[in-house]
Amino acid sequence: MSTLLFNAAFGFYLVGLVHSVAAFVSKKDLLYKIAFASVGVGFFLHSSFIIYRGVELAHLPLTDLKEALAFFAWTVSLCFVISHLRYRIKPLGLFLLPLVTVLMLGTIFIKSSPVPEILSGSWFYLHTVCLFLAYGMFFMTFVGSWLYLFQERELKGKKPKTFYYWLPSLVLLDDLFYKFLIAGFSFMTLGLLAGVIWAEQDWVQGWQDDPKVIAALVTWAIYLLLIYLRLTAGWRGKRAAIISMAGFLSILFTFLGTRYLGGLHTFQ
Amino acid sequence: MDLVVVGLSHKTAPIEIRERIAFPEEHLPTALQRLLTESELSEGMIVSTCNRVEILAHGKNSHRKIVESVKNFLYSYHSLSPPFLEDYLYIHRRNEAINHLFRVASSLDSMVVGEPQILSQVKKAYSMACLTGSVGRQLNDLIPRAFFVAKKVRTSTRIGAAAVSISSVAIELARKIFGDLTDKSIFLIGAGKMSTLAAKSLLESGIQQIYVTNRTAERSRQMAAEFSGQAVPFEDLKSHLIHTDIALVSTGADSFILTRADVEGITKKRKYRPLFIIDISVPRNVDPEVNQLENVFVYDVDDLQSVINANVQQRQQEAVLAEEIVVAEVSNYVKLTGTRSLGPVASALRTRIETMCLEELNTRRHQFTEEEFEQVEKLLKKAAHKIAHPLITNLRDPGESPRQQLYKVELFKKIFQLEEES
Repeated sequence: MSTLLFNAAFGFYLVGLVHSVAAFVSKKDLLYKIAFASVGVGFFLHSSFIIYRGVELAHLPLTDLKEALAFFAWTVSLCFVISHLRYRIKPLGLFLLPLVTVLMLGTIFIKSSPVPEILSGSWFYLHTVCLFLAYGMFFMTFVGSWLYLFQERELKGKKPKTFYYWLPSLVLLDDLFYKFLIAGFSFMTLGLLAGVIWAEQDWVQGWQDDPKVIAALVTWAIYLLLIYLRLTAGWRGKRAAIISMAGFLSILFTFLGTRYLGGLHTFQ
Repeated sequence: MDLVVVGLSHKTAPIEIRERIAFPEEHLPTALQRLLTESELSEGMIVSTCNRVEILAHGKNSHRKIVESVKNFLYSYHSLSPPFLEDYLYIHRRNEAINHLFRVASSLDSMVVGEPQILSQVKKAYSMACLTGSVGRQLNDLIPRAFFVAKKVRTSTRIGAAAVSISSVAIELARKIFGDLTDKSIFLIGAGKMSTLAAKSLLESGIQQIYVTNRTAERSRQMAAEFSGQAVPFEDLKSHLIHTDIALVSTGADSFILTRADVEGITKKRKYRPLFIIDISVPRNVDPEVNQLENVFVYDVDDLQSVINANVQQRQQEAVLAEEIVVAEVSNYVKLTGTRSLGPVASALRTRIETMCLEELNTRRHQFTEEEFEQVEKLLKKAAHKIAHPLITNLRDPGESPRQQLYKVELFKKIFQLEEES
C-alpha cells in the first residue's frame, strides 16, 4: 500500500513536470493548470504515504537516506504548493519539479539500510523535520532570488521575452525570497538547537567536531549573513542570488557531501 | 438559403471611404429596417465602428442575390453609385462568414490585435438589431456564439494582456517592478505638456503619493495643485529621489539633469529598493548609463516603444493560438447546427414506424386470406403514416433554433433506433 501511494505520488509529480515544461514551451495556460493540479494530487498522495508509513512503523519514516530523500522531496513540494497558493508564479514548477523528481528517483536507487537504535525520540524528530523543512524553504529562496534576477534582466534589457510576461513583479519575487528566507532560517535554528539538546541529553561525545555539524553551522552562518545584509544594506537581486546559491550548495554539501567524511552522522 | 458578410475595414479601405459609409448609432434602427424592407433578406445586423462597417445578412435566396441586395442597400442608403465600393468590399459566405464574425468579435481582425472594444461594439450592434427586430432564429443562434468564442479566446490566451501604448506600457512596467502601485510614490520632474498627459494616465493606476518639481517655483505650485501632490524645491530634486519609487522626467533641459553619479549616490541610501525612471523628454534628461545601476530602471521614449513592439509581437503569437480556437469553434458550430437536411431522418422515421407495424402483421399472415391481408396492410400503412406525421411536423418546427432541432433529431434517432442514411 505504501509503495503504491509513493509510486502514485511520483507519477503525479512527473505529470506535473512534463506539463510545466510543455506549458512553458507552448505557452498554453491550460497545461499550466494541469501541471499544478497534478502536483497538488501528488503532494496529497505523498503526504498520505508519509502518514501511512509512519503509522506502519510507529515512528516518522525519516531514518535512512532513502526516507530522508523522500521527505526532502515532500518539503520541496510543500513549499511549491504554499508558494503557488500565495504567489501564483507560473514558471515555478519548472524549477522546483526537477529537484523533486531527482530526489524521488534517488529513493528508488538507494538501498534501505537498517536503522540504528539511537535514531528515535522526540528531539531527533524535531531535529530532522525542522532541518528538512529549512532545506526545502532555502531551496525556495534560491529559486526566488534567481527568478528575481531573470525578471531584473528582462527589465534592464528592455526587450521583453518570455520571462517578462510569465513572472510577477520584482517586489513580489523579493517578498517570496525574503519570507522563505526568514522561515527557513527559523526552522534551521530550531532544528540545530534540537540536535544539540538531543546530543547533550544522550551524552553523545564529540558532536562539536562532527563534519556535518560543522558544515551545517557554516550553512547557518551564510544565511544569517544574507539576512543581515538584506536588513541593513537592502541586498537583493544579483547579490542575494549569489549568496543564496552559495547557501544552497552548502546545504547540498551538508546533506550529501559530509557522508564521505565520516563522523557521527554516518549511520551505515 | 445562405449567410453572408459584406463589409469593409481598415484592412481594405482608407478612412475616407470608411467614413462615407459609416452608420451613426442613432441612425442604426432606421438603417436596419430599411435593410430588411428594401431587400429580400430575412435577417440582418450592421456593425459600424471607426475601423469597420459590415453587414451580416441571412436570406432565403442564393448567396449571389443576398450579396447583391446588401450592396444595393449600401449604395442607396449612402446615396452612392456603383462601383464606388467595389474595390474595398470583402464578402464572406457561409462558414467563412461565421469564421469572420468569430474573428472580429475575438479582436483578431482589429487594427490593434486583442483590443477589447470591438467585442462590446459587436454586442451593441447585436442588441440594436434585437431591438429593431432585424434578427431571427438564425442570427440569434449564431451571434451569441461569437460572444462565447470571444470570451474563450480572451480567457485561454493572453491576447489582450500586454500593453501597447506609451502610457499603458509605463504602467505595465511599473507593475512589473512594484506589483501593486497604490502604496508607491511618484515624482513628476518638469511640467511639459507630455509629462502632464503621461502623469494623468499613471495616476489612474492608483498611485496615491505624488511629488512635483519644476524649475520655476510658481509652476511647481500649479502642478502640485493640479495633481493634489506636494511641491518639492528644484534644488532638492536629487535628494528627494531617495523617497520616491517612480520618477517621470520631462523638463525642457537640453542636457542630462540626472547623471550616473547623481543616482549612484542615493542607491545605497535607498537600500537598493527598485527605482523606475521614465524619461519622456527629447533630448533625454537622464543619462542612459543610470540604467546600469543595480535595481534602477531607466526607460526613454525609444525603450518604451521597444517594449510596445515586443508586446505587439507577443499579441501576434497569442493570436496564432486564438486563430486555432476560432477554427475549432467554427467547425464545432457548423457541426452542431449545420444546414443538415431533415429529409433523410424524416423518411427513415416513416419507414421505421411502417416496418414496425408490418412486422407484426407478417407474423400472423396465415390468419388472413390474401384479400384480407392486403386490406389490413393498407390500413396499417395508413396508421403508420398517421403516427409519423405529427412527429415529422414537430421535427421540422421552423420556430426552433438549429441547435434545438439537432437535439431533437438525435433524440428521435435514439428512440426509434434509426440508422443514419447518408
